[in-house]
Amino acid sequence: MSVIIDKLFALSTKITALSVLLIVAWIFTVLFQHSMESLNAFGFDFITETKWAPNLEKFGALPAITGSVISTFLAMMLAVPIAIGVAIFLSEIAHHRLKAPVGISIELLAAIPSVVYGMWGLFYFVPIIRDMFGGLGIGMLTAGIVLAIMILPFMAAVTRDAMNTTPDILKESAYALGATKWDVVKDIVIPYAKAGIIGSLILALGRAIGETMAVTFVMGNVHKISTDLTAPATSIPVTLANEFTEADTDLYFSSLFELSLILLVISFTIISIAKFYFLRRKRSL
Amino acid sequence: MATIVNVPEEKVLHVNNFEFTYASSDTPNIKKLSMPIAKNCVTALIGPSGCGKTTLLRSFNRMHDLYPGNVYAGEVLFEGRNILNPKEDLIALRAKIGMIFQKPTAFPMSIFDNVAYGLRLQGIKNRSELNDKVEKALKDAAIWNEVSSRLKHDANGLSGGQQQRLCIARAIAVEPEILLFDEPTSALDPISTQGIEMLVSELKERVSIVIVTHNMQQAARVSDYTGFMYLGELIELGQTEELFVTPKEKLTEEYITGKFG
Amino acid sequence: MTYRQKRIAINNIVMTLSTISALIGLGFLLWILGVLVFNGIEALNIGIFINEGAPPGYGESGLKHALVGQLLIVLYATAVGVPLGVLAGTYLSEYAQDSKLAQTIRDISDIMMSAPSIVIGAFVYAIIVMPMGHFSGYAGAAALAIIMIPIILRTTDDMLQLVPSTLREAAFALGAPKYKVVIQVVYRGAKAGILTGILLGIARVAGETAPLLFTSFNDNFMNTDMSQAMASLTVTMYNYATSPYEDWQRLGWAAAFILSMFILGLNIIGRLFLLRKRGK
Ligand SMILES: Nc1ncnc2c1ncn2[C@@H]1O[C@H](COP(=O)(O)OP(=O)(O)O)[C@@H](O)[C@H]1O
Ligand SMILES: [Mg+2]
Repeated sequence: MSVIIDKLFALSTKITALSVLLIVAWIFTVLFQHSMESLNAFGFDFITETKWAPNLEKFGALPAITGSVISTFLAMMLAVPIAIGVAIFLSEIAHHRLKAPVGISIELLAAIPSVVYGMWGLFYFVPIIRDMFGGLGIGMLTAGIVLAIMILPFMAAVTRDAMNTTPDILKESAYALGATKWDVVKDIVIPYAKAGIIGSLILALGRAIGETMAVTFVMGNVHKISTDLTAPATSIPVTLANEFTEADTDLYFSSLFELSLILLVISFTIISIAKFYFLRRKRSL
Repeated sequence: MATIVNVPEEKVLHVNNFEFTYASSDTPNIKKLSMPIAKNCVTALIGPSGCGKTTLLRSFNRMHDLYPGNVYAGEVLFEGRNILNPKEDLIALRAKIGMIFQKPTAFPMSIFDNVAYGLRLQGIKNRSELNDKVEKALKDAAIWNEVSSRLKHDANGLSGGQQQRLCIARAIAVEPEILLFDEPTSALDPISTQGIEMLVSELKERVSIVIVTHNMQQAARVSDYTGFMYLGELIELGQTEELFVTPKEKLTEEYITGKFG
Repeated sequence: MTYRQKRIAINNIVMTLSTISALIGLGFLLWILGVLVFNGIEALNIGIFINEGAPPGYGESGLKHALVGQLLIVLYATAVGVPLGVLAGTYLSEYAQDSKLAQTIRDISDIMMSAPSIVIGAFVYAIIVMPMGHFSGYAGAAALAIIMIPIILRTTDDMLQLVPSTLREAAFALGAPKYKVVIQVVYRGAKAGILTGILLGIARVAGETAPLLFTSFNDNFMNTDMSQAMASLTVTMYNYATSPYEDWQRLGWAAAFILSMFILGLNIIGRLFLLRKRGK
């Protein structure tokens, strides 16, 4: 009896573990199947076409893809330097009484739902951008800034963790030669933790590009590529969030599924690069 | 009060009534310790684990200042001033008092850059001057022959013993007055250990050395003076041979004859 | 200026810049937190917990429907996600260990943890909403469960691996079959860690909005039938915040406040569990 239970238990753990792989494969398959109609209708043009006109059954994803890239790029430009600054502050500068409370606050802020960041952006940040640049205040610039603020805690926390892997004894060796804190950060900590830091930043990028709620409020969902960063725009997640419940034809749905698939492939690729190329390697001392 | 006998006139450090308390500790971890450190000699610190050898050593270059809340009291005199003074310029002090750690600490850079690191901190940029000084340091650390053909290689590719000698080269490149060794061979094999010990004996020509070791044979082999510490206090300090052959204190005798430790 | 003074000056400049960036980052975050707390508390009243959604102008609206819907969806997601995640994590730590398969599952789970959640919503839309013909609480719960499984799996795996192998060996030496060793010894040893993982997993999915937008959708009224479209705090928050009615916007802030406090609370409790464990 016990032997049977033992086998059953082992089997059930194995099946559930395998189901994780299965679900992921299933997600890709289902998204691909539902993209077929759009793939057949537009082929490669889907990602180069700029026109997205549901009433004409014409779907081009370039504005959404461009929007995703630009808003994420803006967010990274703003968030990366601040996140690195915060990480240096937390790992090397902050007084020990500050380290834990500030560090934990940052981690807790990373847990606040992104929809809250989006809401804050809509009510408090959009008016500022509107006053500064005119127009509606929603668009790429606002989305990039709100996204930067939303991703900052996560980015700072993982970057700090990467920096903290530098062994104390290595830092002490540099101090013992008369190095300043900045010398130690730039010559020891950053070179030592380089792979981990870059991996952390790319991981944050992978998250930012798939983030929906922080940007949906403030982007505008206008399928138009514009050189004006303050004009309403869209991105893949924004399009999905706004249009999935509105789609009324099979082709419309299929185009949205293809957008989902594109987004999934992009973020899978980015996260995999972070994980396999940068975060896998470990140093020892 | 510790028994201190036969220490030469010329001293590089003078420790007076030194006390040290870690931030997390209620009582001093080093208590009212006084001792001279002889110039151009090797002074060994021995004693059972936890007696405060490392703590004392790391006070000489104010390493404890990297972590908040540690408290010094008393004096450590170097070049005529008390280096425990809060106003002491630690960057300058540490360039003059080098340190070698329990484990090799090769920086994540090339062999050359490791040795040049301290020199560059001092503002030496001239390539040929750097080359000369790096070569000299590597030769003095008896590792030149092994690395001269691969100075541009990552220092982490060296063996443990080589890395430790690289660290010594890095420390002596800046021509410090004092070198502090904290159990520098505890992570090394016997042959590498022998190499480091020989090096320590040779280096005293140019630099005063304090070496912490839990290995009494090592202390006997490399040092001119030995201090025996116990529970945060210095029990006895004297010429190494004398201390091991005719210890003045009962505790010292018990320790070196293996009654405890 | 000597080279040394220059180095010290540069050091001071960079350290100041880094401190300033920390202040900027914290400043923004405090601003958001302040707005959340201020607007949330202002909007909070008893009516929120007793009233359902009402069209603006037609009596007092509340969030009862969204609170109940949120609880139901998260509860169902947890009921599915936790056992699956724990069992799968058990397989990795106790059976497969360092095998290639285990490593692959770990890697894929890690990637899934950062994958866009809105895509999970699209997937669930295709496999549940489309066949059923309408939105449902079940679909929302399924989406959240899919997001939750990798989180629980990874923490369980990590926490079980922390249990010393001598403990397992001692149990085996007494002749216990493996499943008993796992359930009675390993799980018990890793209890606090697994619990923390579960709490953090719940906290993570409770704040998800995107995957619910077109799975559980929304409902302005009280509904406890999981087979129908169902309100959630997050989607309600989104709909109310983007509405032009000030009443609804206030309710949106109240929802944001309640949800954020719930999530922060779970995070803090989870951390305390781990701390207490470490303290022992
Ligand atoms: N970072 C620290 N914080 C608090 N106490 C410490 C710390 N490091 C060492 N100690 C304590 O100080 C005493 C001396 O330690 P140490 O100098 O490391 O001894 P030794 O090097 O002789 O083995 C010990 O009791 C040890 O527990
Ligand atoms: Mg020691």
